[in-house]
Amino acid sequence: TPSLIMDPECSRLLPALCAVLVDPRQPVADDTCLEKLLDWFKTVTEAGMGEGVTVDFPQRPDRPSLLLLQENPCLVELLFRVLKAHDPRPRVLSFSLRLAGLFAAQEDCFQYLQVSLSRAVDTIFSLQGDSSLFVASAAGQLLVHILALAMRGPAEGHPSPQGCDWPACAQKIVCHVEDSLRSTATPQVTQALNVLTTTFGHCHSPWTQGLWVRLSPLVACLLEKDPIPASHSLVDLLLSVARSPVGSSDCGLWETLAQTLSHLSPTQAGPLALGILKLQDCPQALKTQAFGVLLQPLACVLKAAAQAPGPPGFPEGATGDSITVDTFLSSKSACVGLLCQALAHLELLQLLPQRPSPWPQAPLLRAAVAILRFCHGSAAPTSDVGGHLCAVLAGCVRVQRAALDFLGTLSQGTGPQELVTQVFAVLLEYLTSPDSSPMVLKKAFQATLRWLLGSPKAPSCCDLDPHTQLFLGELLPVLRKRLCSPCWEARDSGLEFLTQVTRHWGGQAAFRHALLASEVPELTGQLLRDPESYVRASAVTATGQLSSWGLYATPTGPEHPEVQQESLFTELLHILSTDSEGFPRRAVMHVFTQWLKDGHADVAEDLEQFVARVLQAASQDLDWEVRAQGLELALVFLEQLLGQPGSRCPYAVALPEAAPPATLAQVLQALCRVQLFEFALRALFDCDRPVAQKSCDLLLFLKAKATPCGGPQEAGASPDVVSVEAALQRWQAGEQGQPLGELEPEAVMAVLRSMDLEGLRGMLAKSSDHMEKSPQSLLQDMLATVGVLGENEADCY
Amino acid sequence: MPEIRVTPLGAGQDVGRSCILVSIGGKNVMLDCGMHMGFSDDRRFPDFSYITRNGRLTDFLDCVIISHFHLDHCGALPYFSEMVGYDGPIYMTQPTQAICPILLEDYRKIAVDKKGEANFFTSQMIKDCMKKVVAVHLHQTVQVDDELEIKAYYAGHVLGAAMFQIKVGSESVVYTGDYNMTPDRHLGAAWIDKCRPNLLITESTYATTIRDSKRCRERDFLKKVHETVERGGKVLIPVFALGRAQELCILLETFWERMDLKAPIYFSTGLTEKANHYYKLFIPWTNQKIRKTFVQRNMFEFKHIKAFDRAFADSPGPMVIMPGYCVQGTVGHKILSGQRKLEMEGRQVVITPTLPPPALSHACCDTAAGVMQVEYMSFSAHADARASCSCGQAEPENVLLVHGEAKKMSFLKQKIEQNSVGKPRRGRACEGGFSRACADRARHLAEALSTPPRGQLLYAANGETVTLSTSPSIPVGISLGLLKREMAQGMWAGHAGWGGAAAGQVAPQTAPAPAPAPASQGYSRMPRSPGSCRHPIMKDSNFRLVSSEQALKELGLAEHQLRFTCRVHLHDTRKEQETALRVYSHLKSVLKDHCVQHLPDGSVTVESILIQAAAHSEDPSTKVLLVSWTYQDEELGSYLTSLLKKGLPQAS
Repeated sequence: TPSLIMDPECSRLLPALCAVLVDPRQPVADDTCLEKLLDWFKTVTEAGMGEGVTVDFPQRPDRPSLLLLQENPCLVELLFRVLKAHDPRPRVLSFSLRLAGLFAAQEDCFQYLQVSLSRAVDTIFSLQGDSSLFVASAAGQLLVHILALAMRGPAEGHPSPQGCDWPACAQKIVCHVEDSLRSTATPQVTQALNVLTTTFGHCHSPWTQGLWVRLSPLVACLLEKDPIPASHSLVDLLLSVARSPVGSSDCGLWETLAQTLSHLSPTQAGPLALGILKLQDCPQALKTQAFGVLLQPLACVLKAAAQAPGPPGFPEGATGDSITVDTFLSSKSACVGLLCQALAHLELLQLLPQRPSPWPQAPLLRAAVAILRFCHGSAAPTSDVGGHLCAVLAGCVRVQRAALDFLGTLSQGTGPQELVTQVFAVLLEYLTSPDSSPMVLKKAFQATLRWLLGSPKAPSCCDLDPHTQLFLGELLPVLRKRLCSPCWEARDSGLEFLTQVTRHWGGQAAFRHALLASEVPELTGQLLRDPESYVRASAVTATGQLSSWGLYATPTGPEHPEVQQESLFTELLHILSTDSEGFPRRAVMHVFTQWLKDGHADVAEDLEQFVARVLQAASQDLDWEVRAQGLELALVFLEQLLGQPGSRCPYAVALPEAAPPATLAQVLQALCRVQLFEFALRALFDCDRPVAQKSCDLLLFLKAKATPCGGPQEAGASPDVVSVEAALQRWQAGEQGQPLGELEPEAVMAVLRSMDLEGLRGMLAKSSDHMEKSPQSLLQDMLATVGVLGENEADCY
Repeated sequence: MPEIRVTPLGAGQDVGRSCILVSIGGKNVMLDCGMHMGFSDDRRFPDFSYITRNGRLTDFLDCVIISHFHLDHCGALPYFSEMVGYDGPIYMTQPTQAICPILLEDYRKIAVDKKGEANFFTSQMIKDCMKKVVAVHLHQTVQVDDELEIKAYYAGHVLGAAMFQIKVGSESVVYTGDYNMTPDRHLGAAWIDKCRPNLLITESTYATTIRDSKRCRERDFLKKVHETVERGGKVLIPVFALGRAQELCILLETFWERMDLKAPIYFSTGLTEKANHYYKLFIPWTNQKIRKTFVQRNMFEFKHIKAFDRAFADSPGPMVIMPGYCVQGTVGHKILSGQRKLEMEGRQVVITPTLPPPALSHACCDTAAGVMQVEYMSFSAHADARASCSCGQAEPENVLLVHGEAKKMSFLKQKIEQNSVGKPRRGRACEGGFSRACADRARHLAEALSTPPRGQLLYAANGETVTLSTSPSIPVGISLGLLKREMAQGMWAGHAGWGGAAAGQVAPQTAPAPAPAPASQGYSRMPRSPGSCRHPIMKDSNFRLVSSEQALKELGLAEHQLRFTCRVHLHDTRKEQETALRVYSHLKSVLKDHCVQHLPDGSVTVESILIQAAAHSEDPSTKVLLVSWTYQDEELGSYLTSLLKKGLPQAS
């Protein structure tokens, strides 16, 4: 963490830097430096705030922020000069505004800066309209800070809305906001609305209520204009007020919200409706209205898709009104935009605990299916609007993506069987269709997975219900086809799907039967040699998962399971040792670790042999994640031998703190046999930090397990110990050198005891760039850059 | 007025984190999605919250375009697509698609492995992000949707780098990304056709540097490397950017071959090695020389360059050559900004900025105070000032400069402006006390700027929106018959640039940009306010000019008729029918050019004018002529009335 104290060196450098910043002739180092400088000031000021206690104890002696300002007058000078400059550079201006905001957020500093800031308020007003988004936004934030702090103290109670008792500075800001709200220029209105949004978002003191009483008539006036200016910002403000304490006490606000909902266009009203539905307490009538707004587009779709008067649709208030229909018909982009927005909003809403109840699951499902059919061209509309939708949505990837996501989310609820069948049918259409783009196909797979896993189990036999079984029969041939797709994205999405389904259903008889009857497992095996590394990696994961459930069939047939497993293990080991890409090798390590954890039958058969071969392959890998995963596997192995590191379950059989000596000796022998020590000790000096960290943790765990019970000690300075230590020194120096060969457990333990593993862990915890992060270093760099840039320019021109 | 809006979110006045938002013809496109190496929190990525305040990015953006694989142009992509949640298409060329994930993986490694950051994007996220990528070929017009199309052009710079044209209707923007106008050892020069975009967005990273000629630079580099190696020293070349590594490898390999040198060249394993694989694969994207040599041998199959071993790191006389930009907070930055003493891994290292005296070159880093010799040589593949000016190839209407520090941008702006006004006087560049050589460079620069922009030269800082008003040309269909009729009436006379079937331009006030009209129809340039008998009709996204009758028919509307009426009293004792007949004969003789008819019901018509004779209710010797005419025939109607008021000639 950056130093919190302004050391003398920094104090010495700061004036020079401030001088550079205010001098328009001096180049400024890039934005990064200014950002980092702000970070540093932020830590200093936040340390002073101490969780907001400054306000309660303004006389606290240790006020580093104020001290910082007082002892470094160059800072105030900088703020003042930049704000008064005729043509300040945007980055310096933005920096200064944010710096002022940082200090102004604290009362003592605010008092100190007040004179400068109050004089600068006019400048800040004009900066709200700055061409730079960053400057404009910083200016707005600063106004809020100034307003909030000005309102503290005398006006803290319940000030009158008219503001006669408000401080002059606050008065000035509020009058400016009022003028802006009355303006005919949209940018001015937007600025005022944004300032208010931030104010109501951050300040929850009673005075904000007076502010709202004073300003709400002006805000209401905006609604009467056509078109409504700055509608986005208006929505933000209304929601911000509704979320603040002001909202719960003002009945007028709900009316304004209702009015706004009906005045805005369907696209503009969407975010407001969602915001209203997210509110904790708000009148039911308003919620109903808001939900109606969100449902409108889907209601239109349902109406357009209906062949005949169908089953009951959405609740009252969402019947596909003419404005929504007009939006649909106005242009393709408006139609697509509105539909995507509605789908996204409803998807978000469905996940919320406060979603409307009853939730119209069935009509939503019907609408999602209808949209997907329109997009796919498989709908046969009878109405004019339907025909229009068909033309506009055909092949529209954007709507397809949104609808598939939405359909996936709807899998959390149920639906009548006839509808669920339709859902599966439309998903199958998308999975089969050659027109589905890779992204759409991926989403179709994801939605299918969610519906499959959400489908009910047959009550009697805990197996899949007949409908699902039927669907699987149709799905697997499609999956098979997708695994042969020329497009890698399709093959990969197919494999990911297979892995997920198998993970959940590997034990379901119906699934096993259907899968083994298909050619999918064989094809998955073939994809281990796919030209695309991502696909190879996914194939590794999929075969690993299939094999865990005994579903991976090789040409040898299911009658010799042990031969099969051996062959898959060999094949994966071959990939680990030879594949040119990291992803498949990492995937192999994950599969092996999982196999070890699960006690995969064939791993258990010759555990030491398995671990030794895997570690040997992993130790030579160039990819740090493979080596790190190797340590993960080693740790699993160790835990299986010695017990979990931190298992403190009160109900578990109490394990001894450390393993008994006899067992420990055997364990250490085993670790030597699989060459785990050599692997871990080498990794300790790995040039990739996470590998070294993992190894350090592993060795510390081993040390803790072995030490208390004494174990085989007094190895002293035996020849073995000397050679191990010598090897360690070579590795530390970066030499790979010769392997250690056969190791004696005693020697290893002696070396471990003599090593400062805790110290090493502390060192490894530091980031590689920790040395360059100090504020002095930053100030030096910034000042150094000034000279160099000048030199370079002279050199060039 | 329709407009093009451009907001650099990360580029502009800052190196790194290129990300530019363009709104054109109602479409929103993000150009590049880069990271900034100077930060290790969310600020390393562009601030996407500025794009849309309360909407989803996926709904707002129509597509993302990545110009090339460097991380300052694509490093934020997995964060953007998988963590912020953008689901739409991402366009890039095939080599970029192949190499991009390698760099992203490497970036992840640095963040997670070296800096120990949690909450970074995962490998799975990189893969999921790459699944959203759509590869494009050079010069292939890709239809993003019905209205938005993009096209890639060769940009040099690095393998697979492309400039992109973004087009909606007749409005277009060209984004150059990073590009290089001079071919190097493995890539060709950027090329773009005269697509005349409304706006060209280009970089200015190395704007003020007109680098020494490539040959000099390379000779210097090889000389220094050779000298050090001859002394028994070792040279470390930390290559900032992929692509430069390949360039330097080819340079060294050729030199070693020519000089028959035996000293080994090591190549850091991992990143560059992996990328090399793709360099071998995408030979068609390299320059002509490499493509020709390819028949005999692949230039990327190096003979002298081997995988690097860490054990060789510490040894006497090391020298570091910094081949490019370094970000604040790195050792490289400190060295380049002129700091002379550094602490690295607990050792004090003294840096000598120029060639050291022989005594020092034997000092070694193993001792407590290591001495290291440092050289800065620019091998950057960015366009330099000269090249930036030659982006006039595309003949853009306006130019917007982004990427690079503010002061340098204003310098480049000034250079381009000088050129667009006229070549700067030779003496002018010398006025500031600059050398003659500098003045010559300025002159070269001026000459390189063959086609200055016709409109404005703009530059945008981070977060600053530049708005450009445009007059999009919208093709309008008109039938040949109507066109001929209009011509005959002389309505179009004097309007420049129109022809029978030539595509023209119109500037309606609020029309959206539609797709081109069917080719079977002729197109014409339409005056700003169309004449009374042409009506624009918008149907199925086609804009057509039709006659008013046709318009009414197609819209299923009946015309509202406005008729004027007038009564003219005539002294005539004969019957009404006879009066009508007299009127008919009179008009027939007077109005020879008009169609005068006597209808069976006794009324008389002249064009739309209807005349009926009736007896006066009180005076039988007076007949009343009811004259009525339409608004269109107002002139003729008035004339007829005044004619009739004069009375009828006596019957002969």
